[in-house]
Amino acid sequence: MHPSIARVRQKPRPLAVWVDRHFKWLLVTPAVLLILALTVYPLAFSLWVAFINYDFTVPGHAFVGLENFRRVLADPVATGSALTTAWLTVVNVGLEFLLGLMLALAMARTFRGRGIVMTVLIVPLFISPVIVGQFWALLLQRPFGPTDYLLGKLVGHDVTISWLTQAPWNFIAIVVADVWQWTPFMFVLLLAGLTSIPPHVYEAAELDGASAWTAFWQLTLPALAPMILIAVTFRLLDAVKLFDVIFMLTGGGPGTSTYTASYYLYQIGFQQFHISQATAGSWLFLLAITVLIMLLVRKLLRPEAAR
Amino acid sequence: MTVPSARPPRPVRRGRRRFGAGKLGRGLLIGLFILFVLVPLYWVFVTSIKPSEDYLAVPPVWFPAAPTLGHYTAALFAYRGLDGLINSLVVSTGATILSALFGTAMAYSLARFGTGGQHLSFWVLSQRFLPPVAIVLPVFLLYRNLHLNDTRFGLVLIYTVFTLPVTVWMLFAYFRQMPPSLEEAALVDGCSRWQAFWSIAVPLAAPGIAAAMVFAFIACWTEFFFALILTGRNAFTLPTVFRAFLGFQGAQYGEASALAVVSLLPSTVLGMLAQKHLVRGLTLGAVRG
Repeated sequence: MHPSIARVRQKPRPLAVWVDRHFKWLLVTPAVLLILALTVYPLAFSLWVAFINYDFTVPGHAFVGLENFRRVLADPVATGSALTTAWLTVVNVGLEFLLGLMLALAMARTFRGRGIVMTVLIVPLFISPVIVGQFWALLLQRPFGPTDYLLGKLVGHDVTISWLTQAPWNFIAIVVADVWQWTPFMFVLLLAGLTSIPPHVYEAAELDGASAWTAFWQLTLPALAPMILIAVTFRLLDAVKLFDVIFMLTGGGPGTSTYTASYYLYQIGFQQFHISQATAGSWLFLLAITVLIMLLVRKLLRPEAAR
Repeated sequence: MTVPSARPPRPVRRGRRRFGAGKLGRGLLIGLFILFVLVPLYWVFVTSIKPSEDYLAVPPVWFPAAPTLGHYTAALFAYRGLDGLINSLVVSTGATILSALFGTAMAYSLARFGTGGQHLSFWVLSQRFLPPVAIVLPVFLLYRNLHLNDTRFGLVLIYTVFTLPVTVWMLFAYFRQMPPSLEEAALVDGCSRWQAFWSIAVPLAAPGIAAAMVFAFIACWTEFFFALILTGRNAFTLPTVFRAFLGFQGAQYGEASALAVVSLLPSTVLGMLAQKHLVRGLTLGAVRG
């Protein structure tokens, strides 16, 4: 035996013994402390702030009960932004799922150049949403963007759409930017799901002479279901936070028509400094998301459950 | 494996004709989507080298006759893009290293000892879905007391927390699929648990740690919201510089595009390098790619 190892065995130092005994807890300590300091403490603090007056425009920190929550719920801009968030999320995630699924089905077979196509398709995932907003501002903004010109060529007469300030085009602009960035997310996950379906699943169907359409509905979709749930859940929980693209494309406007929940809370908290109203609102937002998490994530994600 | 020769001859004729149409449809779909992905990238690139006179030209200029690099120097120096670039680099690197250190340690403990059971691991995971807007206000107030607002260190700390779920869960899955036999042998040979972790498990998990670091770096590099609230004139990162181009007077289109090109290149190249880990990165290790 190596002499140094033998020495460790005979006379273990007390510190080393202590480290070994509590090793599993020592390893998690730094991460847990950091999370406690920067998310649990802030959340607890904000829960307190939500029940007091904490407003840069009103002095004092008096206890006000549910007044801050009442103010959020009575604010038509708040309820409007919640509704906008909900339907934008459904439209965005729905379109991304459909497009991603179609792309994944199209890409499931090997063909020449598939590697390069894959590499191009995933590029949007690595770009800051702010820059994606900037992209579409450049493309759509009149009179500098080429979109109206190209559309005019396509339909044969002049097109003068103010994409960023005119409903419903501003919503279409937001959806296009989000779909551009996140369709690859759905595509990558669904393709991984498709390629992991074992071929023998299809062999029986081939023997029966089932059509491709039947095979898709009766074999592919059920086999893909766990992956679809994971992809949609992840995307859903990110899509409800929509902020960056709004910030860059419409600034919430015109008026407050394109406010999302995150954008509303940012405006109330950091532009108008109604801190306690914003924290009350963010708690309501958090509760809504927690319901989503409880329903979806815990059931879906076990480290090795899904393949 | 089934035996291919045992398969009876299928009525292939009809199927093959349909396959041809399907092939065309697939090619068209892929081609159109590639166009959709590439057009904004191309337009931002071409705008970044276009002389300002070309902005308003009708028809739009797709190939500038006299390309210029002037917008790049203006974006980097006049608009302080270079300062943003350096801040982004320092903050993203710092947070990535901290996240890798703390995340690897925690993931190892969760994977090998089941520390804290499911509760601890799901508690970490839930941080991934926490909306930044819910914690940024109190963090802002906390940072004001600690004088951490508008410092790189403050941003490094919040980015570490914000990337920990990804690192922990990716490496949790990685350690779980690594057989513990080597570490057990080392323990029998008299190694301490720390040595078994640091000298044996960590080097074996190096590819997984590297992949997790790439995704953490990209997440920090592209993050906007925390940087918007928690930084100002000193520690501002690259994405926040784009605020200077809001208002759409059109005069700074070249600068905005140049900065976009500078900013998207590093994260895109890194992402492509880690492409084969992408599925794991996107699902926090829940799905093996």
